[in-house]
Amino acid sequence: MSYFKYENSPYVIRSDIAEAHARFWENLASPGNWWTGAERVAIAQEVRNALSCEFCASRKEALSPYNFAGKHQHDEGLDEVAIDAVHRVITDQTRITKSWVEDNAVKGLSKGAYVELAGLAVAVLSVDEFHRAIGVALEVLPDALPGAPDGYMPALASEGTGYVPMLPNDGAIGKEADLWGDRGANVLRAFSAVPNAVRDWMMISSAQYLSLEGMANFDSPENRSINRMQIELVAGRVSAVNECFY
Amino acid sequence: MLRVSAQVTETEIDLQGVNGDAKAAETGVQYGAELMQFAETFARRDDEALTTARNSLLSVAGEAVLVDAAGVAANFQRMVRIADSMGIPVDDMASELSQSIRTELELTRFEGARNSRSAG
Repeated sequence: MSYFKYENSPYVIRSDIAEAHARFWENLASPGNWWTGAERVAIAQEVRNALSCEFCASRKEALSPYNFAGKHQHDEGLDEVAIDAVHRVITDQTRITKSWVEDNAVKGLSKGAYVELAGLAVAVLSVDEFHRAIGVALEVLPDALPGAPDGYMPALASEGTGYVPMLPNDGAIGKEADLWGDRGANVLRAFSAVPNAVRDWMMISSAQYLSLEGMANFDSPENRSINRMQIELVAGRVSAVNECFY
Repeated sequence: MLRVSAQVTETEIDLQGVNGDAKAAETGVQYGAELMQFAETFARRDDEALTTARNSLLSVAGEAVLVDAAGVAANFQRMVRIADSMGIPVDDMASELSQSIRTELELTRFEGARNSRSAG
């Protein structure tokens, strides 16, 4: 099955956007470092469930999100810790703490698995949100491909920034040499314990926003109908509503 | 990035557009008010208002602008979640430009600021 034809879209969708979304859907269905293809697709489904989850909506209003009991609205395929992690990343991310990430690791959601889960969740959200922005129905989720996760983590990934292991800012070398240049910003490093999460993030971002190279153009980026100030006004307003300090 | 792009293109802008001021948003930015309203209604998940804002942007700027703006808006739904779920601090807390923007937009009111304070 081919995805993201956008045949029902009332607007012409740039081909690079459709191609990036389709390539990500293929990656989503494939086994990762810590999750099978089926589990990765289940994570994607939980992204969608989270946005209409009544427990998430109630918890977001609670003063303390860590002492608020209830049940998420969810599908099958993931355990409770993973389901809660997806829902929290999508609906209450500003109150995620290092101790919660570490408690989850004790409960079986390793930091590598958490990074892959979060990377998938935000990539799926980004694709789905594009559809909502233009008023088009969400794409059907892909059928999972067989295979087992390989447990890979870059040897240079280490603790010290944020809540999870990351490559150092000059650590994109060897098998990870394609992730960034001489120095990686923290937002690039964030998912670097799972290199394909960075690659997926950059692939989608290059189409929906700008490539790393394109970010150096502060005037009129190629293949865009809006200039950089227009781009950054939209980015800034979305970020402000989301209370994004970064 | 908005301020840097304005400086590079020698355009006078008003950063308060980022905080939702429609008059400020249209200062120096073509379709600024419509783009800002589109971004705001989208991020607030207000479907009815989003439809109105989408149609308004379409009527003044056309579908290519709408599609590009939708891509950017969708992309930035992700950024805050990357930063906060991984707990990353801002890279350049000490830079003068970065500090002045944080002050002008009062960004320290956001809960996610704690990750940068603790790292500093």
